[in-house]
Amino acid sequence: MEAQIFKALGDPLRLKIVQRLSLKETYTIGNLTQGLGISRQGARKQIQVLESAKIVRLSPSGREVNVTLQVNSLQVGKDFISKLENQWDARLQKLKDIAENTT
Amino acid sequence: MQNSITREVIIKAAKEKVYDAIANPLKVVRWFPDEIEGTYAVGERPLSVFKEHNAKVSTYIVDAKPFEYFAYRWIPGGNEFTGDVMTVPNTLVEFTIQEIEDGTCKVVVTESGFAQLPAEMAEVSFKQNSGGWDYMLGRFEKYFKQA
Repeated sequence: MEAQIFKALGDPLRLKIVQRLSLKETYTIGNLTQGLGISRQGARKQIQVLESAKIVRLSPSGREVNVTLQVNSLQVGKDFISKLENQWDARLQKLKDIAENTT
Repeated sequence: MQNSITREVIIKAAKEKVYDAIANPLKVVRWFPDEIEGTYAVGERPLSVFKEHNAKVSTYIVDAKPFEYFAYRWIPGGNEFTGDVMTVPNTLVEFTIQEIEDGTCKVVVTESGFAQLPAEMAEVSFKQNSGGWDYMLGRFEKYFKQA
């Protein structure tokens, strides 16, 4: 999965698209790829690469398709848990110091 | 998201002393919250104060069994919440103290209930913590500038 993400972002055009997405919540494919010098079909292709790497999420809205940046929920969950684990380790170490070194 | 965390530590002290460090409001502030506002006793909802996060968190003390068990419900992640913790998704923190030999205890802390927390909580934490996407994109930008 990580390799897929790196590969998807390892292209200046797709990176530019993702950078735009980080500025605003939602774009249509048209707005998102405006001024990049690519055809509508080319834009779709690039965005599909991002979608299959789960970097963006596509949702149809009328005749348009909205594109949003997808925060990888698995990664986010793992990060949250490991942060809390580290906090507990630090607290328990402090508890140990206090219980062992005070009378 | 996984539902629980378990961490443990071996402490060279009697279980009475370890329990006191966890259950006594004057002692617990020396290693955990910076301050406790309100009554730190079973059935009460004191506020735990974390100066680092500039936050106060409602904490419901669930149970206390001297010298072996102490438990409360709260909201993890350093977010301020001073309303009633029992009215919102929360986690259960349980301390168990086991004297493994004379004067040595194993303390196990289990925090559970992450699965029911709103996804935004983890997302906010992710963004604060690692910088999330900003960080990743910053690195890629650098990479392309060098290339």
